[in-house]
Amino acid sequence: MSFISVENVKFSYDEDKKNVLNDINLKIEQGEFVALLGHNGCGKSTAAKLLNAMILPDEGVVIVDKMNTSDEKLTYEIRRNVGLVLQNPDNQLVASVIEEDVAFGPENLGVPPEEIRERVDRALKTVDMYEYRKHAPHKLSGGQKQRVAIAGILAMQPTCVVFDEPTAMLDPNGREEVMNTILTLKQNGITVVLITHYMNEAVMADRVIVMDKGVVLTEGNPREVFSQVNLLKKHSLDVPQATELAYKLLGIGLKFDEMPLNTDECVDYLEGVLK
Amino acid sequence: MTRDIALGQFIPGKGVIHKMDARVKILLLIAFIVLIFCTFNFISLGLITASVVAVILLSDIPFKMYLKSLKVIILIIVITSLLNIFYGSGEPLVQFWIFKITLSGIYRAVFVTVRIVCLILISSCLTFTTSPTDLTDAIERLMKPLKIFHIKVHEIAMMMTIALRFVPTLLEETDKIMAAQKARGADMESGGMIKKIKAMTPVLIPLFVSAFRRAYDLAVAMECRCYQGGDGRTRMKILKMKKLDWFCVAFTALVLIGVILCNIFFPAAI
Repeated sequence: MSFISVENVKFSYDEDKKNVLNDINLKIEQGEFVALLGHNGCGKSTAAKLLNAMILPDEGVVIVDKMNTSDEKLTYEIRRNVGLVLQNPDNQLVASVIEEDVAFGPENLGVPPEEIRERVDRALKTVDMYEYRKHAPHKLSGGQKQRVAIAGILAMQPTCVVFDEPTAMLDPNGREEVMNTILTLKQNGITVVLITHYMNEAVMADRVIVMDKGVVLTEGNPREVFSQVNLLKKHSLDVPQATELAYKLLGIGLKFDEMPLNTDECVDYLEGVLK
Repeated sequence: MTRDIALGQFIPGKGVIHKMDARVKILLLIAFIVLIFCTFNFISLGLITASVVAVILLSDIPFKMYLKSLKVIILIIVITSLLNIFYGSGEPLVQFWIFKITLSGIYRAVFVTVRIVCLILISSCLTFTTSPTDLTDAIERLMKPLKIFHIKVHEIAMMMTIALRFVPTLLEETDKIMAAQKARGADMESGGMIKKIKAMTPVLIPLFVSAFRRAYDLAVAMECRCYQGGDGRTRMKILKMKKLDWFCVAFTALVLIGVILCNIFFPAAI
């Protein structure tokens, strides 16, 4: 059985309105890095909130580590296991001192004080923000704030972290910082679910799931998914820039064994052609 | 413009008073305030004034800051002391029309002035040397016993913490909105008081909307981090009384005994 499995889930925010999620099935394995793509309103963020019991399915079940999210007794255990990092870093920080903010999660869980101290230090070191522990949040950059928000989740020692467009409000530097942090989490064995609009971030994942209108459109490893340029275009979704270029070159008769996913691959290939 | 507003009056420093436990500071402040109003002759008044001066000298805060805090209430001091001068009883020293100035009136005026000045100085000392975070934390812990009266101590403290956290964020946002509205031709500088206040509407409405959105986001984020109210919650920081704190308690106790003895053995002046 998968670590997280979403089975035939339907969900709507309003009973009269049509379903945001329409009979969706997802399986996520332990330690996997999954990217979730789709344009606005396709139900990605709703899917994210489903994973940590912030919302419950109208139909179907969501199972996290053998726990059913609909079981109210398990709600907090599930939220501890599956952390959720949101888009706006400013609105996620609770306290006026960084280390006290990171301590918020474990404090809620009733962890003994000495252990909270330990967890906070470790979490801040993982996201590389330890030297800022006494600072005030409003003095930090967007990328730094988002890393503190990640540390706040890490301090609860989750097995899985879901990121809901964590880089959408950041500048390129901040985006890179946060992506590096996400890759560190994956190396530490934490399951990562990344919801994003940036295709070059999705490329780093083990597996890409594309959603449209509340259902899974296609899934597979990044190369498989982004090779289906036609399908993605039809649903007005982007592909990485390098893939886009290759796709256009296909039109003038160049042949690719496999579609390039990043600039380096593309440059290598073109070099071969031009020689 | 909004950027200049300092959060609270906290001035970071490394003085003795900075190092004290905020809970002890609050309790001793209350003790001092009570003592200031329990002085009935010049010797006990002198004693309490001397100890207040000692405290502010130890506080590692430039004296200029204390003068600033006194400036705000100078009018109150003048008015109350003038009133007191004319309210005395006994043999008048000077008399004209219905006003008379007596020795006891002058005494009263001196007492009131010194008391108010001491009061402001010692309470400024608390706000200058304690960060708002420490202050809310201390208030939460001190108010804990009130739980038996069904007062939601934790919730109050949580609200204070969040308010403090979002003051700078919302100030920044106000700046941005003002700039955006000015860019669209909003005029916020010209006109009289009422016109200026009216001109703030296009700033306040977007600010409120955004504050509500932030509140919603924050609520989601807090729930994601397993927030379920104050029950079963632990704290990372454990506040412990240190030697310094006990020393300060002892100092205050000595002042207390001193004031009581002075009040007993010397005649009351007012």
